[in-house]
Amino acid sequence: AMAGTLEPHLEALRRELRAPDPTVLSVLLTLIAVIVTLLIWRLVQGRRSSRKAVLLLGLCDAGKTLLFARLLTGRYRDTQTSINESSAVYRVSNDKSANVTLIDLPGHESLRLQFLERFKAAARAIVFVVDSVAFQREVKDVAEFLYQVLVDSTVLKNAPALLIACNKQDVTMAKSAKLIQQQLEKELNTLRVTRSAAPTSLDGSAAGGPAQLGKKGKDFDFSQLPMKVEFVECSARGSKGEEGDADFEGLEKWLAKIA
Amino acid sequence: SPLPQERGGNNSFTHEALTLKYKLDNQFELVFVVGFQKILTLTYVDKLIDDVHKEFRDKYRNEFQQKGTLGLLNGTFDFKDDFMRLLRDAEESSKVRAPTVMKTFEQSLKSQKTVKCMIETRGEKPKEKVKNKKNKGSKKEGTEAVAAPGKASAGDKQSSGDREELTKDEILQKNREEFFRRHMKAGEKSSKSPKPEAQKEKGKKPRVWDLENSNAKVLDYSNSATNGNAEACPVEEFDPDAALGDRNREPGRLYDLEYESDEEAEEEKVVQNPSKPSVKKGGLGGMFGMLKGLVGSKSLTREDMDPVLEKMKDHLIAKNVAAEIAVQLCESVAKKLEGKVMGTFTTVTSTVKQALQEALVQILQPQRRVDVLRDVMDAQRHRRPYVVTFCGVNGVGKSTNLAKISFWLIENGFSVLIAACDTFRAGAVEQLRTHTRRLNALHPPESHGGRTMVQLYEKGYGKDAAGIAMEAIAYARNQGFDVVLVDTAGRMQDNAPLMTALAKLIAVNTPDLVLFVGEALVGNEAVDQLVKFNKALADHSMAQTPRLIDGIVLTKFDTIDDKVGAAISMTYITSKPIVFVGTGQTYCDLRSLNAKAVVAALMKA
Repeated sequence: AMAGTLEPHLEALRRELRAPDPTVLSVLLTLIAVIVTLLIWRLVQGRRSSRKAVLLLGLCDAGKTLLFARLLTGRYRDTQTSINESSAVYRVSNDKSANVTLIDLPGHESLRLQFLERFKAAARAIVFVVDSVAFQREVKDVAEFLYQVLVDSTVLKNAPALLIACNKQDVTMAKSAKLIQQQLEKELNTLRVTRSAAPTSLDGSAAGGPAQLGKKGKDFDFSQLPMKVEFVECSARGSKGEEGDADFEGLEKWLAKIA
Repeated sequence: SPLPQERGGNNSFTHEALTLKYKLDNQFELVFVVGFQKILTLTYVDKLIDDVHKEFRDKYRNEFQQKGTLGLLNGTFDFKDDFMRLLRDAEESSKVRAPTVMKTFEQSLKSQKTVKCMIETRGEKPKEKVKNKKNKGSKKEGTEAVAAPGKASAGDKQSSGDREELTKDEILQKNREEFFRRHMKAGEKSSKSPKPEAQKEKGKKPRVWDLENSNAKVLDYSNSATNGNAEACPVEEFDPDAALGDRNREPGRLYDLEYESDEEAEEEKVVQNPSKPSVKKGGLGGMFGMLKGLVGSKSLTREDMDPVLEKMKDHLIAKNVAAEIAVQLCESVAKKLEGKVMGTFTTVTSTVKQALQEALVQILQPQRRVDVLRDVMDAQRHRRPYVVTFCGVNGVGKSTNLAKISFWLIENGFSVLIAACDTFRAGAVEQLRTHTRRLNALHPPESHGGRTMVQLYEKGYGKDAAGIAMEAIAYARNQGFDVVLVDTAGRMQDNAPLMTALAKLIAVNTPDLVLFVGEALVGNEAVDQLVKFNKALADHSMAQTPRLIDGIVLTKFDTIDDKVGAAISMTYITSKPIVFVGTGQTYCDLRSLNAKAVVAALMKA
């Protein structure tokens, strides 16, 4: 009986396939084509949206744009305060296949958070450039910006590798990376207390972000963060001045590791 | 830095002795800047910058389009020769126009006129002299010391000098002739004068003045037949229908204003009709243009953006942003978007809205750190009190918000001294005393290790505010208080002596933070208040870098729903951050500003 009920349906299908109705067939074909294109598109999108970007962040005049130019072209350039981001593909020197997209974001106070918002989702790694000469003066501002970057929910979720590049080491008064690390840890320790104590924001969300940086009770340490943090010394201008090369082997090695 | 701060509406910027004029190329994201000394007035700068822009863009268009960022980094833009050539062209074109060689005296028409006819037109002589002076002045303004115009000016000076001497002679001659004439006339006049005078006297009529010879009868224009007689009033035809108008109205009811939409609809139809034929003509081209606009690769022009910007400007003003600031903002956004290539499937409206939103967020981002607790900790380490001064106009909520901020500081473990420098308003000291008592009740000394967290320093009414502030700070240093909050009297920005007093208080005591308290309800007044307060502080300060307003406290935020434009106006004028926001009258109603929420409320329809 079952076979009997199926038989007429099978017969109808066989009849359809043998003498196909052009409209039905065309509809089927278009449907298949659309599904295939959607699949391909999603694959391509997925590959493109995988985080391949390395962000260059830092205060104004830290040396981000010059570092960017040196990494890409190896030559010195006179730079101005950036008001827009610049991005380019950087090929790691020894390994031809690996490449990352370097994105240089402006450091101006009015612009930096906006651009961070735009590019933080695509970040695989963050290079935070610090001016080692002016560090003593600017330590509070550096710490505040670093705090804002670290507390951001997207950054905490993705946990991109963080490199703190202590730039301008060619000047004699530059502070060492170790000193900068200690000072930043102390400053961030106080900052997380004051920021969480600040009055709550207008729409109810807490001012310092919902996350508490590091472990409560213990003094703040960079090892408490969910991402890998490294400190490196470099000089975008280079010890030989404008004609020579920049000294940033540490930075290049780290980029090779990331890629 | 006008561009990041969204002040890019006006395309020139002055800094110390230099004036910078700039032009944005939004298609390729370039900025062209020309700098020159402020004292020079060069007329060819605008034209130069346009020419440079066009040449540069045309020359390097390929590199921009194809190679992108690497092209910018690697390419050598050897533009120097082209630039020098353009500069020379611009200078020469301006030189050709400026000094027109003046006509020599012989060429002018005046030499043809006789002396006599010139005497009669007496008014011309002083005008001539003024004209000569003007010509000399304009010659001095020319900055290029080029030989040819120099020679011409020397020659002109000589000829004008001749002219002056001639005019002097002429004047002498003319005066002499006048003198003689007058003497002759005087003789004639003396004989003639009594006769015409006598004749005049006969014909003289008394001048009737309004008040002196007021004759009541003459002035009474009323109809004497009817007025004053009750019975003899002329009866006019009284038509009750005409007087009442609408027969159907109910007695005693007040009707609403009727909205007549018919007439307006008619007018619109009339306007549309002439425009329809033009639409039909451009039908096919218009359709392609629309498709092109949808797909992308269409660059924005001013005409496209203007209607959208107008609507956005009205929207901002409706949200309580000050009018001039809304205008400047829209100008800056227009300049930023002009010539930009739109992406696919984006309309003009969405691009403009996006740009405006970014601009507003940019404005609300603080230019300096906004962390009061951090700075208080710093001052604590140096063993000196952290001084905060509150200033503002009357009735904005200075004392209330001072109490809220002191509550917040106490919660974080800092001891506060309140200095009552409002020695004018009745009850100001009592108000602060009540707050102090309540705060001490909320945080008794027992729970903070035996020290009183809040104390009031007051010297009654009528004393000098600056003196009280200084004593309060010294007292705080001796007693080891962490923070001093100085409350000043409210004052109008136009009141010069009070503004001087405030400036003196701030200049003498050098507080760490000067907070301007402004209410969120204020509209266009915010601009005026802030400008005048800042000006007063700058004028009366003796220091090189005067202490200006460091931050803004925005109060009464709970009274506005989403008309949050005052925040934008205030931060735009001062470029200083909004440190606190007051949202009520209890101690917990203190918030910090969330830029994104405010901008979202602003852009919401």
